[in-house]
Amino acid sequence: MVKEIERAGIPVVHIATVVPISLTVGANRIVPAIGIPYPLGNPNLEFKAEKKLRRELVEKALKALQTEVDGQTVFE
Amino acid sequence: MRLEVGKIFINDIRFGESTHVENGVLYVNEKELIDLFIEDDRIKSAKIELAKPGESVRITPVKDVLEPRVKVSGSGTNFPGVVGNKVKQVGEGRTHVLSGAAVVTVGKIVGFQEGIVDMSGIGAEYTPFSKTLNICVVIEPEEGIESHAYEAAAREAGLIVTNFIGEAARNLEPDEIEVFETKGIIEQAKMYPDLPRIGYVCMLQSQGLLHDTYVYGVDAKKIIPTLMNPTEFMDGAVISGNCVASCDKIPTYLHQNDPIIEELFEKHGKELNFMGVIITNENVFLADKERCSDGVAKLARLMDLDGVLITEEGYGNPDTDLMMNCKKVEQNGIKTVLVTDEFPGRDGKSESLADAVKEADALVSCGQGNIVITMPPMDKVIGTLEDIETMIGGYDGSLKEDGSIEAEIQIIISATSAFGCNKLTARMH
Repeated sequence: MVKEIERAGIPVVHIATVVPISLTVGANRIVPAIGIPYPLGNPNLEFKAEKKLRRELVEKALKALQTEVDGQTVFE
Repeated sequence: MRLEVGKIFINDIRFGESTHVENGVLYVNEKELIDLFIEDDRIKSAKIELAKPGESVRITPVKDVLEPRVKVSGSGTNFPGVVGNKVKQVGEGRTHVLSGAAVVTVGKIVGFQEGIVDMSGIGAEYTPFSKTLNICVVIEPEEGIESHAYEAAAREAGLIVTNFIGEAARNLEPDEIEVFETKGIIEQAKMYPDLPRIGYVCMLQSQGLLHDTYVYGVDAKKIIPTLMNPTEFMDGAVISGNCVASCDKIPTYLHQNDPIIEELFEKHGKELNFMGVIITNENVFLADKERCSDGVAKLARLMDLDGVLITEEGYGNPDTDLMMNCKKVEQNGIKTVLVTDEFPGRDGKSESLADAVKEADALVSCGQGNIVITMPPMDKVIGTLEDIETMIGGYDGSLKEDGSIEAEIQIIISATSAFGCNKLTARMH
């Protein structure tokens, strides 16, 4: 899906837990996610801390979307 | 460590007054077996049913398969660290096996990834457990029980029943005795200086959410890679607690009878020097995957290996663990061969594995799990057919009116197991 959307000229950020798979399939902008059972959150955190974590992930992804890249880039 | 494995060949199973072996026939008493675990308040009721090769019998949903064994000398008991068994080092001394018999835990579905064992017909050809004499422990859980509690109850009942039956082998004279021995690393290396030093990396399923394996009672997702003597597996140090896709599930029976370990011992001292086993896990966090694949490569180097075989349990994200292990071991100058199954879709046109690295240039395929077959109806069902269409490999319309089942072979226990217990492979066209 990442590759097809990019082929249509729209940049994509792939938020993925298993970064190596994302690299193998050819995503250009990759933001590492938290874990496979909960990629965009962490139920072990208390509510406020989790909300902060989630916001930071989304903001990092939005920033990556606006960043020019020269080849595959992982935004740590 | 040196283990003698004494096999008592079982050629029939029957109900009897007590659990014992007489002239190669294993007798079990239903009440005696059920009384071992029925007080567990997670279990509502249970029964024991027998299934023999060639019978028109379908067993489903199968959770685990185990082999009855007993330690007759050496420390520890079969299945150390679980169901009240003390944590004691196993893998030395002598172990007796009721060879040919198996305990199969059955009951309505825990998750969605338990499978089918057919005792005859085309389905039987895909599973090693159509060839064993099966003592089925059929469990009805308490209503409303949480799925993890149900899984634990079924797993523990299987272990308890298996060890109880295994006791029947204690005072028997084995029909065959095999000896397996691995020395300390330096001494072992010196024994066959001209043969390549080969290790075995056994990846244990540990994704959680009902995909778990236990090592001496420790949840494998909490381990970092460690060395095992091959004989520890034969004494039940590693047990399955998982509902991974049934075709590539490694039931406890296959850990006790790991075909890779058996084959490596077969070639030991002739074509290669089998140095030991590294166990690692398949966790759901990238940091764990990095840490554990680093650990695998480090141990392979510390053992001064020339080559390793790597097996995987499950598919999808564990393909990344497989590839990371391969890449890092190869980067240490140690050759790897991967053993796994494939999931390229029913037409075989999609990617077989979710991940790949250029170092993975030697792979043994154990078949493709998406192949669709139709299994004929059976005269008797042990367990229930009501979950067939929600089990992995099944789909809407899988269960036909006449009781036949059309499904992907994913639904058959150990059909494409990476331990190579079957006859399948896949070829590229």
